[in-house]
Amino acid sequence: MSEITLSELEKQYGDTTAVEDVSVDIRDGELLCLLGPSGSGKSTTLRMIAGLEEPTSGEITINGEDVTDQSAYERNTSTVFQDWALFPHKSVLENVAFGLKMRDVPKEQRRERAEAMLERVQMGGYGDEDPTNLSGGQKQRVALARSLAVNPDVLLLDEPLSNLDKRLREDMQIELREIHEDVEETFVHVTHDQDEAFTLADRIGIMNEGELIQVGEPTEVYENPANRFIEGFLGDTNFVESEAVRVTDDAVHVETELGYELVLPSDGDPDVTEGAELTLSLRPEVLSIEQDAAADSMEGHEQPVLADGSTLNAVVGTVENVLYRGSTVRYSVSVNGTSMFAERTGANTDALTAGEEVRIEWEGDDVLAFRPDGSQVTL
Amino acid sequence: MTETPTRVPTSIAAVRERIAGQSSSNRALLLMAPLLAFELLVFVIPFFILLRISFAESSANFVYAEGTVSLEAYASVLTNELLWSIVGYSFLIGVVVTVLSVLIGLFYAYAIWRSTGLVKSLLLFSVVLPLLTTLVIRTYAFRPLLSPTGTLNEILLSLGLLSEPISFYPGTIAVVIGQLYIVLPYAVLAIYSVLATMDWHVVEAARDLGASRPRSILEVVVPQVMPGIIVATVISFAWSVGAYAAPGVLSSSLTFAIQVEDMMYGMRYPEAGAFSVLMLLLMLASIAIIFTVLNRFGGEFDLA
Repeated sequence: MSEITLSELEKQYGDTTAVEDVSVDIRDGELLCLLGPSGSGKSTTLRMIAGLEEPTSGEITINGEDVTDQSAYERNTSTVFQDWALFPHKSVLENVAFGLKMRDVPKEQRRERAEAMLERVQMGGYGDEDPTNLSGGQKQRVALARSLAVNPDVLLLDEPLSNLDKRLREDMQIELREIHEDVEETFVHVTHDQDEAFTLADRIGIMNEGELIQVGEPTEVYENPANRFIEGFLGDTNFVESEAVRVTDDAVHVETELGYELVLPSDGDPDVTEGAELTLSLRPEVLSIEQDAAADSMEGHEQPVLADGSTLNAVVGTVENVLYRGSTVRYSVSVNGTSMFAERTGANTDALTAGEEVRIEWEGDDVLAFRPDGSQVTL
Repeated sequence: MTETPTRVPTSIAAVRERIAGQSSSNRALLLMAPLLAFELLVFVIPFFILLRISFAESSANFVYAEGTVSLEAYASVLTNELLWSIVGYSFLIGVVVTVLSVLIGLFYAYAIWRSTGLVKSLLLFSVVLPLLTTLVIRTYAFRPLLSPTGTLNEILLSLGLLSEPISFYPGTIAVVIGQLYIVLPYAVLAIYSVLATMDWHVVEAARDLGASRPRSILEVVVPQVMPGIIVATVISFAWSVGAYAAPGVLSSSLTFAIQVEDMMYGMRYPEAGAFSVLMLLLMLASIAIIFTVLNRFGGEFDLA
């Protein structure tokens, strides 16, 4: 149980900056996921917490104690590595007991503790095995037991699930979540997989190009991303380029590359000037796609449909191709020459086919807008 | 569409088929045949000739008396105390050089493993570089370096670390240094070849779990590179015990190899042969002990 503070953490390798100005308070007992594409500095950040990398500048404290200058073996942190890094010449039990041996725990005690940990990760009875003979999932469990055995202040997980196949990975995510609840310790988990972060995390920290862009609960970062990068990274979306043509107190009217003028409702006094370039994000889950019964009556450049004062937006296009993905079906639609996509659940048997005219609709409230510098516009 | 399989009855295909028809152990034997023939020719047959001569009587007219069978040479060798002191001295050189070469080799190999880029290339190149010069010339080069008026003494004197020169050469220190210089590259390469396949994360994991630097090396690195250490130990030990050039050039001490040469100059081939056979047995016993002891510390070699 412990709190970790990173303040203005920075890591440079020669001229390249791997981690830049990362500051975050990791709460006691939470599971924080550092999420980002490869090369975003998330692993380096984790390794600095472990003491395996020395920060170029900045400070790390654990429970208020400055550990920045302590080496890895002096810190009571424990890492589960991506390739698990089990000791190949030691038995499974010796692996799990290793940290206790380094802490001079008497032999009988560490044996008991190691066996209990193996039991905890459902690897009881494997103590005498040679770790090189285990499967990926089993190695993963042993590595977890080895790290938990020392009762660390914080458990650091460096993409430990990425070498497992999809099904096993999903099972392990649930199990990891349970273990976290069970042991009540602080976990920092690094991953590049959004689904994994959403499944596991109490809070998600999103990193890109060495910077920690946003830290928040999963719903918060998903529904209110700090910038366009996060919106694009956290799931599929349609980015539509547009220009603000008319700004009123309660709405922003934009001319889009779709060839339609759309309306973005505002809570009042939108932070946009006329003529500003905006990138709109239309997530597939807010779009509904229907066979367009009224296709004949729709003209390409019509104003958005405003039914009884609400701000329903609609565009009309042609289905280009259909991608069946099991639980969902994805339709790629050409709207006045610009491609966008919408989804239906796979259960919807009323399938659309390529070449069909369709109408895509959404609530104006569900659209996010970003400035050219990536920041989100408050509407 | 024709469904007849085409067969090309060339001679290579025929040979291939014949080889494929062999059982796997036969095939392995076939592949090893050139090596086995070579070993037979340069090692096994000469050894039996040596063994035969060691059981011959000495002769006043020839290097040994042909057609005789006797234990005379063995009796003479076994009762000669001088020879036993030579054996002891040879083993002493062997043990000291081996310990030094394995220790330094381990550190050096670790340094190569952990370095990157140009430094790594330079370190590797420096290991191989000495092998480009003849062993004898390399060994002679230690004379001016180690003599009482040599470079090393001058440096130590000018630094004030010595008040009067030490005679490294000629003597045992020079022999150890010279022999170490000969075997070290092989020790480094033997250890490095195993180390290079090791995963650095395993060392990080050990440190992460609370092992200090020295402890992580002892607990994790050494057991894993034990196969390399065993090879380095055997090469260093066997070569140093039987060393010829370094003791010959850098000291006036008698070692096993030089003594055998003396016996041969003295036309005492049976004695030289008996001495060599006994030495060979001692070496085999020593290597068996090395294997057994080092295997306990995590080596993966089974003693055949």
